[in-house]
Amino acid sequence: MKIRVKVDEDLCIGAASCVTIAPETFQLNDDNKAFVYDHGTQPEGPTYERWLEVTDDEYENILLGAQSCPTLAVFIFDEFGKQLFPEL
Amino acid sequence: MTHVIVGGGVAGTTAAEFIRKQNSDADIILISEEEHALYSRVLLPHYLRGDIERGRIFLKRPSWYEEQNIEWITGETVVALDTQNKHLELGSGREISFDTLLLATGAHPTLVSEDVRGVSYLRNLDDADHLKTLINELPKNARAGIFGGGFIACEYLNIFASYNIPITMAFRGPYMWSHTLCEQAGEIINEHLRKQGVELITQTPLKKILGEKHVEGFEINQGAHACSLLGIGIGVKPDLSWINKSGIKTNDGIVCDQFLQTSVPNIFASGDVCEFFDERFGTHVKMGNWMNAMSQGRTAANNMLGEQKAFDLVSSYAINILGLDVIFIGCVNRSKADQFSLFGSKEMGGVTEIFVKNNQIIGAILVNRNEDRPILTKLISQKAEPFLFDSLKQ
Repeated sequence: MKIRVKVDEDLCIGAASCVTIAPETFQLNDDNKAFVYDHGTQPEGPTYERWLEVTDDEYENILLGAQSCPTLAVFIFDEFGKQLFPEL
Repeated sequence: MTHVIVGGGVAGTTAAEFIRKQNSDADIILISEEEHALYSRVLLPHYLRGDIERGRIFLKRPSWYEEQNIEWITGETVVALDTQNKHLELGSGREISFDTLLLATGAHPTLVSEDVRGVSYLRNLDDADHLKTLINELPKNARAGIFGGGFIACEYLNIFASYNIPITMAFRGPYMWSHTLCEQAGEIINEHLRKQGVELITQTPLKKILGEKHVEGFEINQGAHACSLLGIGIGVKPDLSWINKSGIKTNDGIVCDQFLQTSVPNIFASGDVCEFFDERFGTHVKMGNWMNAMSQGRTAANNMLGEQKAFDLVSSYAINILGLDVIFIGCVNRSKADQFSLFGSKEMGGVTEIFVKNNQIIGAILVNRNEDRPILTKLISQKAEPFLFDSLKQ
């Protein structure tokens, strides 16, 4: 499935729970905020937002990472732009 | 099977959620002292600074508990625990039996003896609502005071600064976290606070709060300091009163093994109250952060359902103090370490201190050196020897 993952850098406080749960998708930068990675890589450079092609298991783990964020700074959208998390 | 959870914070609620995910038939009872559905304590400063609406701090809707078939008892405290007959007594007199029990009762702020309007604590949502009201009521040109030198004091700094309220801050130690930080790290933070315009007074007890109906100031060794609002952040402690009476072993918190089980079988603990045996560090530790609480809630849920899963996490806590990042990783209790190494300096603008036990890195504190975080988290996780970090930094 195709999803868009975005970290709101204003909300992110570097708690790193997403990094602990889903390190292939989230890694902290020098500003102590989480960049979004594509399976451990950064095609087209570092970014707070990117499209990802993921399996169901990978999606579940990214969702768990997003749910673990104490500031709800991680947003997940489906390919049609519908917000999957946080639930509206 | 009846699983009872005391504490409706992130540790307790996560445990309830994970038990339900794995077992649709179990009876789950969640007892919460607060009336609110689960919210993020970490978002309280964002709410207070006006960065987000109040509604955004909630992580569960009130209807979620019923949807999950979790009996959610709010506004209730436990007064007694009978470990032999496996039942709890609530303040209302109700008795609840259990097969497994999770104690996730968190910690409560240490209070000062005087309490007049304008004195603030910041632990829960009601405290935050109260503080918001106090800030809105402040007269023009008002000054805020902060007493304390820990995480909550940092939150007060950021909140008051966001409203451009001038700040006088005082604490007992020579610098913030004086039992944890080394002198250089402490001095970097002191200098930073003064550069940011904070009136900083160190090494003093709080002698008296001034004002009869509303706070007018506070008195310390160096005299009286006027303020219209006083934030108190002098630490948190778990309430162990009824737990001690039950015979469960306690120390600073509830003493648990690596499976988060207390000294009594089928009774577990999680979150800020849990002093667990960390296999990685070979010692008991107590962690007071979100990541730890949530992860322990999950592990406890698994073990309440009969697994034997050791808790395994290198947790960390990061805070930004008026633009300066301070990060604590792993075990940073000085009494648990036998060797310390310092990288960087005050002159360089940042320091990283490594905590070592039996030639293994067990923790680190980074002041204005965010770049060291990923590698140190990895080295702590791998039980690495300190020379590995030394060689990377040569």
